[in-house]
Amino acid sequence: MSLRNFITIVASPRPRVGKTLVARLLADFHLHNGRPIAAFDINPDDTALTQFLPDHSAPAEVAEINGQMALFDRLVADDGAQKIVDLGHPSFKPFFAVMKNIGLADELRRRGIAPVILFVATPDATSVEAFAALRDDFPNAALIAVHNEILGEAQHRDKFTASGPGSIPVHVAALAPGLRKVIDRRPFSFVDSRNTALLGIGLEPYNELQRWLRRVYVEFRELELRVLLSDLQSSLNVQS
Amino acid sequence: MSKPAVILVGADKGGVGKTTVARTLLDYFTAHQVPIRAFDTESPRGTLKRFHPNITEVVDVTEVGDQMKIFDTLGNAAANVTVIDIRAGLLSPTLRALSDIGLLDSAKKGQITFAVFHILGPSIASLEEIAETANVVGDANYFLVKNFINNTTFFEWDPSTYNSYFKRIPGASEITVPKLNEMACEQVEVASTPFVSFVANKDSRGEPANYSFVLRGYVRHWLGNVWGEFDRVQLMDLVTPKADNDVRQAAS
Repeated sequence: MSLRNFITIVASPRPRVGKTLVARLLADFHLHNGRPIAAFDINPDDTALTQFLPDHSAPAEVAEINGQMALFDRLVADDGAQKIVDLGHPSFKPFFAVMKNIGLADELRRRGIAPVILFVATPDATSVEAFAALRDDFPNAALIAVHNEILGEAQHRDKFTASGPGSIPVHVAALAPGLRKVIDRRPFSFVDSRNTALLGIGLEPYNELQRWLRRVYVEFRELELRVLLSDLQSSLNVQS
Repeated sequence: MSKPAVILVGADKGGVGKTTVARTLLDYFTAHQVPIRAFDTESPRGTLKRFHPNITEVVDVTEVGDQMKIFDTLGNAAANVTVIDIRAGLLSPTLRALSDIGLLDSAKKGQITFAVFHILGPSIASLEEIAETANVVGDANYFLVKNFINNTTFFEWDPSTYNSYFKRIPGASEITVPKLNEMACEQVEVASTPFVSFVANKDSRGEPANYSFVLRGYVRHWLGNVWGEFDRVQLMDLVTPKADNDVRQAAS
């Protein structure tokens, strides 16, 4: 079944590692490519993503059955939107428990939707174990580590590799502190920023921000190609 | 042609999920392509019949005419396995009635396979039900079913007390039916379809339906666990020991 759309779950069992930033960047990447998106903000204590992207994101929750139905039934819906889930760390376990229980990854593949888990990697044991557990529980999802270089050098990359597209992590380069402050002002949309006159920060910083953004886009584009290639390879193997 | 099998599903108390378990059995045998028929004793309007209308008949098991309908056709019926959903509170009386008409003797003589699925309630009183059933169940294959419908914290019986009751029925097996999410239960009830149809997103007429994927997933996962228990107690071998018969015939 050829993959037409992506659902990307940005996750980490740790707080404050840059999940929402990755979700925002991914949203912008899709919008930049003219694709409709729907983002789900599972962070009851701080709906940051919803505040950054009010037109495309809404809060969601997984603790109760009603929230689960509203979220997961929407995730499998064939509405042509690229879907992004910003999974707050308290909801990490319940979300993936439901996902496993209901067989979400298999159903998505059956509908031509690629399930992707972007795991923001940190060197602590909790993260290493959580990554390994996801690798075991979801062989049908593409599991890829994200190395957010603001957290430090990626000295632990060997513990966060998975098969197929997961063999190469996604890198988010560190952004200068001054620029970080700019992009963290809510609301802030990377797409809209192109229309605002230099954001009041001067030409050089503005250009630096755009260069950083482009590098992230390249990472996302290459990730997409790896997922599609891996899918093509498996369907060729089945046929031969 | 293997010998007929009769499975009684009963409880001495209402509301323990007896019909739910009967439904999982019907789906299990259908999935294994074993022809089955069911009798629903919830006269006049049976719950089981609502979910499996084509294979279920409503009967009054204390009525001689209906008894004949069930038991005289055991050897001839196209369906080899007969599942009888016994009305709440009637398990022990039904077993006594079956003993009276010689059914338990037939089972003893190996002419039919007879199994009892006794659905337990959470209170300590249900242990007494085991004792009562033990007096009449004889050599039937006896399955004690713990159905965790509402509360995952019941069945907190003292193990030695429980074992003392359990041991009164030699060869008894235990089956655990885990809890199914209430919303999922409710939606299946509203849909009035077998569990398997609900999971396949079909309505009661077999037409495509629009059930929640999440709820279908929960039901699929739960049903898989329940069928896993039936596999574990080798239920298929019990009701269709064809291979054994063939081997025995070849050996003799």
